[in-house]
Amino acid sequence: MMHSSTKRSIKTWIPATVGLVLVLVVICLATATYVVEEGKQAVVTQFGKPVRYVVDAGLKFKVPFVQEVHLLEKRLLPWDGAPKSVKTRDKKTIFIDVWGRWKIVDPEVFFRAVRTEQRGQKILDDLADSTVLDVVARYNLIDVVRSSDAELEYESDELADSIRAWDDGVTTDEDVIETVVLEEDAKPQDVIETAVLEDGSMGREQIEKDILEAVSEMLKDSYGMELSVVHIKRVNYIKSVKEAVYERMRSERLRVASLFKSQAIEEENIILGKTRFELDKIEGEMELQSATIRGEADAEVIKMTALAYGQPPETLEFYTFLRRLEVFENSLGENSRVILSTDGEIFRLFEDSGIEQ
Amino acid sequence: MDLRDFQNRQLGPEDFFALARKYLPQIGIFLVVVLLLSASVSMLYRIDASDQGVVLQFGRHIETVEPGLHWKLPWPIETVYEVPVQRIQSLEFGFVTQEPGRTTRYEAARPENLVVSEMLTADLNLANVQWIVQYRVKNAHDFLFNIGGSEPVSSESLPSGETTDVNPAVPDTIRDVAESVVRTLVGDKSIDSVLILHREEIAIDAKERIQEMLDGFEAGVEIVTVKLQDTDAPEQVKDAFEEVNRARQNKERVVNEAEGERNRQIPAAWGKLKQAISEAEGYKARVILETDGRISAFKAQLKEYQEAKEVTRIRLYLESVEKVLSGVGQKTIIGKSVRGPLPLLDLDRDIPARNTSSRTVPAQSTSARYGPAAAALKGTQP
Repeated sequence: MMHSSTKRSIKTWIPATVGLVLVLVVICLATATYVVEEGKQAVVTQFGKPVRYVVDAGLKFKVPFVQEVHLLEKRLLPWDGAPKSVKTRDKKTIFIDVWGRWKIVDPEVFFRAVRTEQRGQKILDDLADSTVLDVVARYNLIDVVRSSDAELEYESDELADSIRAWDDGVTTDEDVIETVVLEEDAKPQDVIETAVLEDGSMGREQIEKDILEAVSEMLKDSYGMELSVVHIKRVNYIKSVKEAVYERMRSERLRVASLFKSQAIEEENIILGKTRFELDKIEGEMELQSATIRGEADAEVIKMTALAYGQPPETLEFYTFLRRLEVFENSLGENSRVILSTDGEIFRLFEDSGIEQ
Repeated sequence: MDLRDFQNRQLGPEDFFALARKYLPQIGIFLVVVLLLSASVSMLYRIDASDQGVVLQFGRHIETVEPGLHWKLPWPIETVYEVPVQRIQSLEFGFVTQEPGRTTRYEAARPENLVVSEMLTADLNLANVQWIVQYRVKNAHDFLFNIGGSEPVSSESLPSGETTDVNPAVPDTIRDVAESVVRTLVGDKSIDSVLILHREEIAIDAKERIQEMLDGFEAGVEIVTVKLQDTDAPEQVKDAFEEVNRARQNKERVVNEAEGERNRQIPAAWGKLKQAISEAEGYKARVILETDGRISAFKAQLKEYQEAKEVTRIRLYLESVEKVLSGVGQKTIIGKSVRGPLPLLDLDRDIPARNTSSRTVPAQSTSARYGPAAAALKGTQP
């Protein structure tokens, strides 16, 4: 009985021990290994103190229970600055919104100084937001907007002139200035801009570069972070200035519209005048040419007549006689009255038959 | 101890262990089968036609598989990300595509859209620019593992029905990049260029620059299209812009009309000129021919006349008188016995005034030359 019971207990113990060992092995494996995925990096700490940094992806080992793994991003991380109102060097208040991308370049320093991504964002907010203000304040508004000094093109020269007149601040059209309704805090100089770029600067790109350099300088070595890029996302006028800008845009356009209107009248008159002039010229030409031809015809007739009838005297005399008869015939008609005397050659017959002769 | 005894007794823990001990091999086999089955299910996976699968072994990228059915090692060892590499995805800037019947949502979304679309031009004017960016994943590995950040993609940036859940950080980055690039380009152009003249150039440049910047991030995406949609002047100044267009069109119309009038009148005048010249030429031909004819007739008469001068002269004269007298409406012949009848005649009767000029008769000398008969006509003058 005893033998069989010992035998049975051994029989029971073997699988139980195997099972226990298996469970322990699984627990050990689970706590002694960890996975670093692509795009991540890890800091291994021992009792809170960093002992190892892992930047490659794969299956990694650590001392179970003693060491702890902290995963950090290796990828590019977003940073979005808060939209801020800034005064430019030429005293214009604008809204500016900046974004950037950063990454953890030194996990050791980052883990010690910053520890989490969220705190990294906060540090960037603190450093970059104020840098944006400082840098933008060194530039004129036009530099924030433009990135080259390329010539601007307009739909028509009239528009280009109208807009440049404003840019140069030399507009002389009193009406236009009067139509610009300016709010209290939007002085005229907030509206009339200088279109000249700072020497050597590339406008917006230069500003972005300045911000990036300034922030990078501050981040250097002490945070384990690196700002890869900074770009200006949005720039806009503050609300009160916006109203004035709208008014300016309206005036610029309306001025060109009225210019077009007067040009229409002017050009119409020019064309109509030119037409009248050409018509007169053609009519004159017509008179000249037809009179010349008719004159030639008449001259020809005179010449022919003179040749035919002029010589010798006998011919001229006969011609004259015939023409007289013609005139005589043509002069008297149905409505003429003729009073003749029997004394005349023809009607002598009434008085004298002539037989006696 | 068999199952029948077991059923007739009260169940105790020792009995359960006894039972477990008895069926241990069977339970073990059963567990292994379940494990194997579940493992084999998690080992089989399918990649859609438009996707690629990125296979990670213990987090390390070992291969990228094409669409179809595939095997992998079970979960803790291998995982697969499915990346839509073929699908072209759209981002909208400054507007939201909505489904029919959801107009109210659009109204509510407007101020946010304006923040995106309103931008400064190089002449410090404001323009509203709306555009789209279409992109495609060109490298699944880069797409997944080079850009991070946990912000979810806001619903406004995606057309309804489309989602990008694999790595929302990438479309977020494209949005930031696209806004910067388009604003930079617009900021270097006049408002006219932005609204009308250089829309296409801006889109082409934007595509190039967005791609360049994203390649700098190794984002693993390809920009397929950048297209400017509506480019407008701000609502507050639209009427002034339209006024310019109207004035310009009016100017063109007025000028065209004047040119039309001119093009109608000038050729007509030239036509008139040619007609007048033709008429003059016709006149010339006619009078010369007429004169020729008259000269020929005269020459014939002259020849006749030269042969019998006196007779011809008298005959011509008498024929003429005959013709005249037969044609004259009123004739008065005064005989020798009738003296002083003139006061009895109402000379103005029946003679219309218009004929006064035709009432001339040959002068004294003329009638004398033609003979006594001609002289008789002298007395006809009233």
